[in-house]
Amino acid sequence: MDEVTRQKATPNEVDRALAHLDPDAGRPSNVVDVRNLSLHFGAKTVISDVTIPFERGTITALIGPTGSGKSTFLRTLNRMNDRVVGFRHEGEVLLDDESIWSSSQDLLTLRRRVGMLFQRPNPFPMSIKDNVVAGVKAHGIAKGRELDVVAETRLREVGLWNAVKDRLNDSPYRLSGGQQQLLCLARALAVGPEVLLLDEPTSALDPLSTEAVENLLRTLVPALTLIVVTHNLGQARRISDRTMFFYEGRLVEHGPTPALFESPRDPDTARYVNGLMG
Amino acid sequence: MSVVPASYPSTRWRRAKVGLFRAFTILALAFVIGPALWIIGGVVVKAVPGWRWNVLTTLSQGTSGGLENAIVGTLLLMLGVTVVAGSIGILTGIYLAEIAPPTRRGRSSGAVVRVVIDVLSGFPSIVLGYVGYVALVVGLHWGYSFLPAVLILSLMVIPYIAKATESALHQVPTSYREGAEALGMSLGYGLRKVVVRSALPGIVTGLLLALAIAGGETAPLLYTAGASNTLPSIAPLHHPVAYLTYYVWTDWNQPMASAHVVSYDASLILIVMVLTLLVVSRVIVARTQRHSESAR
Ligand SMILES: Nc1ncnc2c1ncn2[C@@H]1O[C@H](COP(=O)(O)OP(=O)(O)O)[C@@H](O)[C@H]1O
Ligand SMILES: [Mg+2]
Repeated sequence: MDEVTRQKATPNEVDRALAHLDPDAGRPSNVVDVRNLSLHFGAKTVISDVTIPFERGTITALIGPTGSGKSTFLRTLNRMNDRVVGFRHEGEVLLDDESIWSSSQDLLTLRRRVGMLFQRPNPFPMSIKDNVVAGVKAHGIAKGRELDVVAETRLREVGLWNAVKDRLNDSPYRLSGGQQQLLCLARALAVGPEVLLLDEPTSALDPLSTEAVENLLRTLVPALTLIVVTHNLGQARRISDRTMFFYEGRLVEHGPTPALFESPRDPDTARYVNGLMG
Repeated sequence: MSVVPASYPSTRWRRAKVGLFRAFTILALAFVIGPALWIIGGVVVKAVPGWRWNVLTTLSQGTSGGLENAIVGTLLLMLGVTVVAGSIGILTGIYLAEIAPPTRRGRSSGAVVRVVIDVLSGFPSIVLGYVGYVALVVGLHWGYSFLPAVLILSLMVIPYIAKATESALHQVPTSYREGAEALGMSLGYGLRKVVVRSALPGIVTGLLLALAIAGGETAPLLYTAGASNTLPSIAPLHHPVAYLTYYVWTDWNQPMASAHVVSYDASLILIVMVLTLLVVSRVIVARTQRHSESAR
């Protein structure tokens, strides 16, 4: 390419050239966009009228007393509530500008793009290696020898490789709770999600394992977008960029984490972050 | 002076209760194991002294001769039941536990299927046998043969398999299902690779029980399989099939001692077959479950 043509490159061409370098270029800056979302189980309203964007490549913490609807909100984002009896929703959740409930949205692909980590580590009853590649196999992302590579890459990514490399064919239940949770994280990462939903991922873990998981989560951004429910306010402060405070099904306050903790605007938020509530 | 008495009266009473409870459980166990050992022991004592290995390789001559035809027949019938009742029973159990849409109260709506299963398991086997005789052997002109025997035996044991499968699936932690779902596995894939797999010991136990029952049945087979002193034919229809319980039963009712020997031999072979089945399936299950949570 000579000097003249390069100068003549249109903005469009520049965009396209950059798209090769930045996989997120051209995509909306909010990977998940929640608009006027209300959630109900039967006659009971669990979330009322929540509007909140989630910026790509950030960690958002969801805090609030037990029963305030955090898990329900989180599980809605990858449609884990759809099969729950009596569940209804109003409003929209957009993933890259497309409704997660639109008919062109394939549910299985949606769940591949929006992964989830649960409160209790839940490795499957299969070998450690098979656990890591379970989702990869299900989606036909890799097979045969490639699976070994996937397993090693993901186990290294979560810092578990050295601990388990000699017992890849062993049962996962002999690992410690923290290691099991890291294994589940490796399993979730292996299918290449864009968003990861975490529901109190460290509340069943000891402090050292918690620290390991927290440190790891920081390394996952900005490649991924994380939404983390936590009861641990210290954890919210340590790992999140933004914090949302839920109370009785309402999104009471949200903002940059330091601001929300140091100068909350709402009196309920202030009481909660100062440990005077729930 | 000690403030704490050496033994609280309540402690002593609690110990007594625990002891009593243990005594009852041991009694119950003895009640089950005693007769089982007595029967097995009785059969072994009667069968082993007069045992001839050629029983396994020669055909029956009714009240004398070998049992080769009956052994092959029983094995084939069990195989048939495994295929027919195994697939239908396991699928029914999976439907009830996993697929039947839940009602508004959150309960599974497989109520109709469940009632049908309960009614089915309430029929005496001889009634099922007679139904098979009227509908299949005579009604469809199938004659005494393999297919009606397998179908009726299957109908008889499907409830056991379905119920065992359903309850085994209910024991599988919800977290496995959620994990599979959250990874984007389809319902079917998650069931096959994660859920059913961890329910396998319970399912196999149900299947085994069903096979043991089917192998030990006589009445429905008299009505459907007939009787035969030759090896089973390849044709599933119009050819009677031999089976071990036939000889256990008919030869015991003969006056001659030689016939009683055949009866005991048939019993012993049946017991060995069932025990072998038990051991082999345990080994298989142990292998598939080496990664299970309880096997840690
Ligand atoms: N499957 C369900 N059916 C009915 N009510 C539910 C269901 N799941 C959660 N809830 C109710 O929704 C409310 C919010 O629960 P949840 O989202 O788990 O709160 P949090 O995670 O903040 O503790 C609770 O009152 C709970 O009882
Ligand atoms: Mg919760």
